[in-house]
Amino acid sequence: MSDALAARNFLGPAGEEAIESVHDMLDDLWSEVPLTQDIDRMTFTTAVIESASNVVQHAEPVGEEPVKLGVVITVRHTVLEARVSALHAKPPYGGMVPVMPEDDAESGRGLALIQALVTTVIFERQDGTNTWVLSRGYSQDRPLPDSRADSGVRPPP
Amino acid sequence: MDFSYELRDSYTEVKVGGRLNMVSAPRLREFVGDVLLKGSNRIVVNLAETSFMDSSGLGALIGCLKATRQAGGDLRIAAVHPQVKMVLQLTSMDRVLTSYATVEEAFGDE
Repeated sequence: MSDALAARNFLGPAGEEAIESVHDMLDDLWSEVPLTQDIDRMTFTTAVIESASNVVQHAEPVGEEPVKLGVVITVRHTVLEARVSALHAKPPYGGMVPVMPEDDAESGRGLALIQALVTTVIFERQDGTNTWVLSRGYSQDRPLPDSRADSGVRPPP
Repeated sequence: MDFSYELRDSYTEVKVGGRLNMVSAPRLREFVGDVLLKGSNRIVVNLAETSFMDSSGLGALIGCLKATRQAGGDLRIAAVHPQVKMVLQLTSMDRVLTSYATVEEAFGDE
């Protein structure tokens, strides 16, 4: 697709440092795309961090090579898109069914939260890589840019 | 992530600064656990400087709430940012972790 207004990529070991790096990357991206509204930035950032955290906390290596986290963020005219991948990872256990746990549970809300935050969630597995594909349409009252030239938004480097 | 606490007249204020995520969540549990060990069991978590919270951070707050109640007290939260409020609402945990506009209001009814 060619309507990308801005994009960012991250690839690194699936550890705690990766979560802070991805969050910093998102903050930097939003500073480049001033037309996105707070609600879109807030929800999308939360969904991406939830997905990346799921990879760091739960992905297990399929062989000797450690799991890597890959994140690709693309800001398009009509949607925000993210591909959050666990590379060199086993298939996830369970059915990946988002269910909100009991009130006193201290974990287990991530999947349900992701689903509530974005428009679509697709899970893919190919060649030892598990990928979450997240997309979120903009809030209705967002003034959509007509073109890069008059949007004030810079294209990706 | 920065944690600090301050003894007030009838409660202890715990300030949480930065991102409350999977990295900092275990540290919050530990920090509040230490505050409980010092004898404070009425805690207000001041989230005015908490820029972000995910489900791991929420889980830590729930864990801290449970630990505080097991110690015979209570934990309340104050000054939440819109993103934190959103996570509380989407998970329906705003019913359990009632947020107050200010730290002073959190135990103001008692």
